[in-house]
Amino acid sequence: MIYKSKSNFQNHPFHLVSPSPWPLFTSLSLFILTTATVLFMHGFQGFQYLVALAVFNVIYVMALWFRDVISEGTYLGNHTNAVQKGLNLGVGLFIISEVFFFLAIFWAFFHSAISPSVELGAQWPPLGIQAVNPFELPLLNTILLLSSGVTITYAHHSLIQGNRKGALYGTVVTIILAVIFTFFQGVEYSVSSFTISDSVYGSCFYFGTGFHGLHVIIGTAFLAVGLWRLAAYHLTDHHHLGYESGILYWHFVDVVWLFLYISVYYWGY
Amino acid sequence: MGAIPEADPDEVLETKPFKFVTGYDARFPQQNQTKHCWQNYVDYYKCTTAKGEDFRPCKQFYHAFRSLCPKAWTDRWDGQREAGNFPVHLDK
Repeated sequence: MIYKSKSNFQNHPFHLVSPSPWPLFTSLSLFILTTATVLFMHGFQGFQYLVALAVFNVIYVMALWFRDVISEGTYLGNHTNAVQKGLNLGVGLFIISEVFFFLAIFWAFFHSAISPSVELGAQWPPLGIQAVNPFELPLLNTILLLSSGVTITYAHHSLIQGNRKGALYGTVVTIILAVIFTFFQGVEYSVSSFTISDSVYGSCFYFGTGFHGLHVIIGTAFLAVGLWRLAAYHLTDHHHLGYESGILYWHFVDVVWLFLYISVYYWGY
Repeated sequence: MGAIPEADPDEVLETKPFKFVTGYDARFPQQNQTKHCWQNYVDYYKCTTAKGEDFRPCKQFYHAFRSLCPKAWTDRWDGQREAGNFPVHLDK
């Protein structure tokens, strides 16, 4: 290679990102979302509309940001092996932070449930709380989520082995199972005899299952983006970091459910 | 349950200096005796609900919770029992 053309190439594998408005926009959207949510929860009138607008804003800015990342990774070739290593590490650290988020929720649950206070009659569930029977819908939901772990693993291995059809179908079935799970959780919530304001039992129950449900919805969206990129030929058998991150996230959500099922639903029944 | 002898009405009663001190209960080994107090309060009212106020062995629970519980707590629980929102079924 002659010296002149050599200067057109970078002599390192890293991705030096170009200026982007999305970090600032994300920060502003999240700030508005937090502020609006706090004001709404303190009973300020009309703030539910700002909360809805802010949620839309956050999702919209995230979509624009991820669109840029997809362009950089898929079309501009910025995601070298070294860059993928860093992205993978970032995803891993993010999931570890999520583990600690749920650890705090479980701490709140066990703090209240292991030694129920005398205000609750020193019993768990407290008098008057009709806890959900763990062998009805929650057991079915456990089976659904465990099955979704199987189907997503099938899809993943299909992709690695170059079996496009298997990857597509496996992901589709996983998403269907995920949607059914979310639907059944909605059913469970709507027929439940207690609310989030019914003692610390209700608070802990909806705190844990609610945030898990939110994560299921996010994980479903994550996998759906992976499915779309699979269908759009973005992914190859050796370069599919976003898809693999979605799978890792899905497994995390699955494991959180197992802990919820064992401790909140079964042990706390 | 074996018969508990009733107090003999003709027996001459002698008042002795007496201070009830609740002993150690292995169910409540902690420094914090909140639940020790609570359990005796619950047991007393379960006992009298099942056996009647005159059933003398119930007095053990009475002395225990009276010595362990702050009065403000038992006043609140008395109020809850009267209002029907005490968080334990005392008849079960």
